[in-house]
Amino acid sequence: MMGYFDRIHAGIPLRDVEIIDLHAHLGPYFNMHIPSSEARDIVRNMDLCGIDKAVISTTMSFEADIVLGNTMMLRALDSFPGRLYGACGVNGNYPDLSLAELERTFSRPDVVMIKIHPYNSKCRLDDPRMDSIFRFAAERQLFVLVHTWLDGDPYGNQDIFAEVAQAQPQIRWIMGHSGGPYGSRHAVELAKKIPNIFLDLTLSMCPARQVEYFVSEVGSERVLFGTDNPYIDPRPQVGRVGLAQISDEDKINIFSANARRHIAFR
Amino acid sequence: MTKLRFFDCNCSIGRVGYPHLLDIPDVAGLRREMTTAGIEEALVYHATARYGHPPLGNALLLDEIQDQRGLYPVWVLLPHHTGEMARPAQLLDEMKEKGVRAVRLFPGRTQHGFSLADWCAGELLSALQSARMLLFLDIELITWEEVHALLQKYPRLPLVLANCSYRHNRFLYPLWERFANLYVEMSRFMGAGAIEDVVRRFGSHRILFGTNMPQYTGTAAVGRLVYADISRSDKEAIAAKNLDGLLGEVWS
Repeated sequence: MMGYFDRIHAGIPLRDVEIIDLHAHLGPYFNMHIPSSEARDIVRNMDLCGIDKAVISTTMSFEADIVLGNTMMLRALDSFPGRLYGACGVNGNYPDLSLAELERTFSRPDVVMIKIHPYNSKCRLDDPRMDSIFRFAAERQLFVLVHTWLDGDPYGNQDIFAEVAQAQPQIRWIMGHSGGPYGSRHAVELAKKIPNIFLDLTLSMCPARQVEYFVSEVGSERVLFGTDNPYIDPRPQVGRVGLAQISDEDKINIFSANARRHIAFR
Repeated sequence: MTKLRFFDCNCSIGRVGYPHLLDIPDVAGLRREMTTAGIEEALVYHATARYGHPPLGNALLLDEIQDQRGLYPVWVLLPHHTGEMARPAQLLDEMKEKGVRAVRLFPGRTQHGFSLADWCAGELLSALQSARMLLFLDIELITWEEVHALLQKYPRLPLVLANCSYRHNRFLYPLWERFANLYVEMSRFMGAGAIEDVVRRFGSHRILFGTNMPQYTGTAAVGRLVYADISRSDKEAIAAKNLDGLLGEVWS
């Protein structure tokens, strides 16, 4: 069996390890042209590098219409059962509608997470209007993925995220983007203090040695694979984890074993 | 598929005041990142030339990469008016002597404090064009209107935009339709399917392999290109041959 380095440099998809992307989306988007934005494009790009499953939400849910966004998400799940799973998009500006969307989407077994984007919705993560959403997540001990940034984000920066995560210990919190390209150190500080925080690798500006740093500081069991597909292409992230200077066991944890421990993919 | 040869157009050495994560200041650190990613060669500028002072950083660069096989110097330049750098003709002679075939400019008030307009940088840009020197500009530091003006005024100056992201296609495509001398390095050009789309519409010669090591990892850009849904020859072009060709035209 060729090692990760040789297989990646040969352009061979990583088929011997399951890869589950917990941070993916569905296009299109007002702010950019996305050449591969539809569900079939997303799955095609997953196939090219060996990603087996992706949990998707739509940014449509945060800056436009959560009902439309979640409906688009569910249609994509119908088109690719077993490959695409759902993260219900919620928006604190619409607490009742968000709860209704949670009830609607979680009636299906293939919706497995919640996605919150405080910055895009301009509703702070600790806003009281989020409480019913958190109750729903806590009762089911769900993964909640939150877009976070180190600074310049008064709605969902890492410190707000950490305070909420600490106050909601039943929920498994994914620190989306781990605070962005300069947020790695603070992400580790917070993850060490708060055990229900998981670190997300999704980024377009990937700091050198970030994967190795996270694994050495908090352990590979707390690091999750994500790509931002299709806003960002998924293939760089496969290269990043596959070529990282960590053990194969750590790579397996990140690629999918951690996700499998906490989510029942049916 | 045998391993591609990677020639990275976007690397640096030298300590920065605000690192993304780790302090990787020297050639050994860059080499370690290159080895991890499987990248053989790189164009390198010195962080001190960007964040300290260009003449000092350029001198440090030559000193630190001398005898370093596979690392090639990129100088950071200023217009000559203040006397901090020689007039363009003399500067080019020095660059030719020292083997410098690519340059970076950091215009703007918050960067190196000069304008790309003719009254300020015109003499320098004309000289760079006459040498077919490879010019790198960071798109986060200039406007798209400045890019358009530069491409129109200097059609034989190869311009590489660094730091173009997945959000920039709507700016880039109309420029690529009009100008043959525009290139993008791929350290942040990571939109889903973007490489394939650009190759199909404009050709693989428009993209150069770049990583921004050692601030970023090189492994992400490698992963993007090795798994690209394009031909082997297009991958080879992006990985190294496009840069080989552009550097080969300098001084021609």
